[in-house]
Parts: sequence; structure tokens; C-alpha cells
Amino acid sequence: MSDHLTKTLSQMRHELLAGLSGADREAYIQLVDWLRKIDVASRALQVGDTAPDFLLPDAHGRLHSSEQLRREAPLVVSFYRGGWCPFCNAELSALQAVKAEFDSLKTNIVVVSPETRDLPRQLKRQLNLDLTMLADVDHGAAISYGVLFRVPDETKAHYAGQGYDFGHRHGSTEWMLPIPATFVIDQDGVVRGAFVEPDFTIRQEPTDILNKVRQLAGSQAEDASASDE
Amino acid sequence: MELHQVRYFLAVASTLNFTRAAEMCNVTQPSLTKGVQKLEQELGGELIYRERQLTHLTDLGKAVLPMLERALASTEAVRRRAREFRQKEVAPLTIGLAPSISASLIVEPIAEIRKFVPGLYVELREEPPSRLVELLLEGEVNVALVGDLDDTPERIDDWALFEERCVAVLAPSHELADLPEIGMDALREATILDRSYCDMAPKFHRLYFPDAPPHHNHRSCRDLHLQHLAAAGFGIVLAPEHMPLLPSLKALPIEGDPVWREVRLLAVQGRRYSPALDAFIKVVRLRDWSLHTEAPRQTEHHITATSKPPVCPHDPAYC
Repeated sequence: MSDHLTKTLSQMRHELLAGLSGADREAYIQLVDWLRKIDVASRALQVGDTAPDFLLPDAHGRLHSSEQLRREAPLVVSFYRGGWCPFCNAELSALQAVKAEFDSLKTNIVVVSPETRDLPRQLKRQLNLDLTMLADVDHGAAISYGVLFRVPDETKAHYAGQGYDFGHRHGSTEWMLPIPATFVIDQDGVVRGAFVEPDFTIRQEPTDILNKVRQLAGSQAEDASASDE
Repeated sequence: MELHQVRYFLAVASTLNFTRAAEMCNVTQPSLTKGVQKLEQELGGELIYRERQLTHLTDLGKAVLPMLERALASTEAVRRRAREFRQKEVAPLTIGLAPSISASLIVEPIAEIRKFVPGLYVELREEPPSRLVELLLEGEVNVALVGDLDDTPERIDDWALFEERCVAVLAPSHELADLPEIGMDALREATILDRSYCDMAPKFHRLYFPDAPPHHNHRSCRDLHLQHLAAAGFGIVLAPEHMPLLPSLKALPIEGDPVWREVRLLAVQGRRYSPALDAFIKVVRLRDWSLHTEAPRQTEHHITATSKPPVCPHDPAYC
């Protein structure tokens, strides 16, 4: 049985945190403190906001329109940082583990990262995913959802020291990242669920996302029956 | 960061005047100033020197400007696409191709875009790379695919898409056709069909024929003409690996693969992206180019004058 069917993301997070080196832990604490200090989460879309539409390519270069996706079914948009981040990989695998449940709820789910080139394709192969992985080329979607930040110099130095070059991975001269966030969007483009957490090691449990989608489906059914009366 | 803050900063960057920028954004000047200040706090420094007669961008402002311009252009392109769709507008897209770049590379990306941009009207222009750069800056060409380029102006965004090698194209009846690869001595003895104005020619000459020019008996400025000549047994065509071939021809590797080149995407910084251009750039930067080459060496990175991507042994992207 998959690890992700027996462990919650929270449990996996604790395991991953326990494995961090001293330098990684220090960089993590420093970055999260800074993100909280600048109150980065307050800029993100909130429940009731209208989500801006986007048109982004997937890992194979095929375009996906958020407008089309949300019109045909509830849409889950989850921003992740990249294939280099173990917490993101845990989240993607956990989402993959419940993909069939999203399908049975007739929900479209897309995961969005700033990575370009063949990186999304590689990650898809590596983690054996059949999620729709979109590349937020040039960060337009992350900015419009209010989840993008510029990587501070100390963090940049730490990641660069590990051999990660986000400029190269994103095809951009500036180092930008999204804070991981998950949004549930209804057919009119209204945000019905928003999970935005500056601590990038904390992700929304897939069961919570599924519950949010079920709630949305329930309220839409009620709206439909009320309008029939 | 928030979209409106980015919009305010870009308005100040283009006007260098807070009053005019506020008018452009349809907000009061204090609101605009506050928005820019918040963005500065988040980005970790001043973006604009505010001097009475001499408002100008700081180094940080100059550094983040191209990326923020592209991000905003991208979000606006999505909105404009919806409007174009409603109003059934024509969506022109002029793509420049260097002589050694086949249009076959962009057929699938264009077909993908047409699903979302119904009014798409594509024009392809073939010009030498340096001329394409001029046409980009003049606004005559929206985007270009080129091979090697000596120098790109600062205002040009430049992404390396993939690397490819050069191959020898010849008829199956050619005396060298049954070899597993063409040796350098044999290549120097063979008749090479000469493509006029080929942007790869200088590299061929430097690496294949450093001591004496190749034997040229036949010439054309059209790749297809040369392929027909090669099929008729007139000689060998040197071509980039992605080039589609007539079915009557075969491609052989050249000993040691001495000639590699990057295929690159060029666009002008700071221009308003049309929905078609925005979609084209996005799709091309994600495409699996290894489909066109024997050895997948997809290498997209944003090239700046000073940086080349470091090689990280732990990163599978470099394998």
C-alpha cells in the first residue's frame, strides 16, 4: 500500500523535518519568520474573492484554461514550489493517492509551479503522477493569486549553496517562489476554499480539500433545488 | 506581492513620474505611492529614487523590472484573450525563423495555441539572426527562433530551448551512406551542397573545415532544393538534426559530433504581449524538444549577459 494512503501529510512533514540538516533547518526557520513578518499570506486570494483566470501549459506543452476547467466542474488549484522541494513532492504524491476521489467528485485539480523546461515532465515521471501539472511561466498566475514572493538574499545564498538555481529552473533572472497554497474555485470563478500557509512545510491535507469540494457540491445542489422551487 | 502594486511600479517605471503614473492607473497619487512602498518593503529595497526632477529606477528596480513586466503582460494577455474571443478579433502572430530553423518545430505549438486563440493569424518570416533581432526591436516580428547569435541586445529576452547536433544528409546510394557515421577525413573529401545565407555555415567551416574550404559544386538558398539535389546524388547536405528530411534521404551522425548549437527563443522585453504571443512563449518554453533530436539535451534557461547556469550534480535536470 502507498505510504500516502496510510500517513497524513502532517506525519510526513514531521519525518521530513526530522531529517533536515542544521543549516537547512536554520534556513527554513529564517525564511518562514520573514514570510510571517511581511505577512505574505494577507496578499493571497481569500474566500469570496474572484479568482483571475489563467492559461498555462502543462508538462507536455499543452495549454489549459482555468476558465474552461472551472466551468465544467469545481476546480482545485494548488501552488507548489518545485520538484527540488521534498515537502512539495510529499504533497504531490498525497494528491495523486486520492486522485480517483477527485475524479469521482467530478472535480478538476491542477498543480502549479514556476518550473519550466522539462522539469515538470521529469517530476511527473519520477513520482509517477497523472495530475495535471501546469507551469506558471513568468509567474503571472502566482502574482494574480497573491502568493508570489521574491526570495530574500539569505535564502537565495542557502539554496544556491545546495546547487539550486531558480533563475535557471524558472527561466528568469529573478528568484521568485510561490508560497504553497490550495484554492477551491466554483464554476463562477469564486474562491470557496483557500489554504495559504507561509510555513511551506505545512500543506492542506487532501482529505480536507476533498471535504471542501463535497461542501461546495452540496451547496450548489441546494442552490439548484432552491431555484427549481 | 499583489498585482495592483506591480501595475503601479511598472507605471512609474515607464513614466518616471508619480503624478502621471497615478493618472495612468486611475488612482490617487498617495494610493499609488503607498502601493509602490509596500512592494519595496517586500522586495527588500527601494525600487525608485524619488528626486524632484530626476525620478529614476534603482539597481533593484532595474533588476526586477523585466520579470515583473512579463508577469503582468501574462496576466493581461489572459484577460485580452477573453475579449478577443468575444469580439472575434484577428490575433496576428509574426514568428521569425533563422534560415537553419525549420518551421516544423513550431507547427505543434501553433496548433495548440489555435485551440485557445481562434482568431490566430500566423506569419512566418525567415531572416538571418541579426536581422531578426532588428525586426524584433522594430516590432515587425513578435518572437523569433534562432541558433547561434553573437550578441543579444539588453532589451531582448533570450531563452535557450534545446541543444542539437549537426548531421550529414545524403542519398542511400551515396558511397558513404552505409557507414555508421561519417569520418572527418571523408567529409572533407566529399562534395558539400552549399546553402547560401546559412547561419550555421561559419560554425561548419570553423569546426569541419579549418584548413581548407569544403568542396562546393552546387548551391541554393533553399534547404528543400539542396535535399532534392542530395537525393539525386549530387552531394551531402550538412543540417541541424531537427530538420525534416525527404523520405528518399538518410541522416548520419558525424564522427565525434563536433558541431552542437542551441536553439533559442527571442522576444522583446517590456512589450505588451498579445494573447497569441503570450501563449506561444509559454508553450515553446515547456515543449518536449527531445522529440526532434536523437540526444535530448533540453536546456531552457534565461540567458543574461553575465550568467550561465551552474551544473549541479544532484539535480536530475542536468543529467
